[in-house]
Amino acid sequence: MTVGVPALEPSDETLAARAAGGDNSAFELIVQRYQARVFRLACRLTSDTEAPDVLQDTFLQVYRHLQSFRGDSRFGTWLYRVATNAALMHRRSDARRPAESLEMYMPQFDADGRHRATPAELQVASCADELLDRRVLVEKARDIIARLPDLYRDAFVLRDLEEMSTADVAQALGIEPAAVRQRVHRARLMLRGYLSDLLGVKP
Amino acid sequence: MDFLEGVLPAEVNAALEEHVAGCARCAAFVRSYQATPRIMREATAITMPSDVEASLRAFLRARTRAFQP
Repeated sequence: MTVGVPALEPSDETLAARAAGGDNSAFELIVQRYQARVFRLACRLTSDTEAPDVLQDTFLQVYRHLQSFRGDSRFGTWLYRVATNAALMHRRSDARRPAESLEMYMPQFDADGRHRATPAELQVASCADELLDRRVLVEKARDIIARLPDLYRDAFVLRDLEEMSTADVAQALGIEPAAVRQRVHRARLMLRGYLSDLLGVKP
Repeated sequence: MDFLEGVLPAEVNAALEEHVAGCARCAAFVRSYQATPRIMREATAITMPSDVEASLRAFLRARTRAFQP
């Protein structure tokens, strides 16, 4: 049995250069490579119903502005920035939803600065995916992320769900890395507390 | 969070690590805090439906030179 050597696929940067030069099949390959990820990002930053529009806007922007990709970051990072902007612009045009306080999901401490919840209660959120029915968790996760304050949601989605580096998130959102860490942290606290609450324990 | 990202000064980090190791509440809290991103990521890992892909193609076909028959 002979094993063929797989053909090397062109890098994103190679495809971007070709597409910028008018090679439409290179652009089509870029769409193929990134469409699923951009759709997932759009769902997480907006909603399932708005995501198709954000997806379309993103790739239209990519097509029109490929010349402005200078190669000073990875192509994927640049594309994600375009997608993030498209999602945030789309959200800005929606009616404002009332600000909701999710403070009740923050951890609680006694007068001595110790967690009020017991170790067993504090542990529970670690197993939320084992303890909750998957369909319930999926629905609740989408719902609570959409309820996060926008500033926290954006940083959290890019950093923890899309697994971008803090530096890339800072660039994508136009904020300092320290601000990224702070916002991601608060989102994590709220989400952890929400999972605890779903499972019937103190956050 | 700075502790968990490893951006604290060394002696502060060491002191925190020592506390967490000996404190059942804090250890449990850190574990659930660290598990939260993974749980939310897996719960929101949506796949793109084929009709969304088809709409994207049609949209780009109408506005660019890509995806022409």
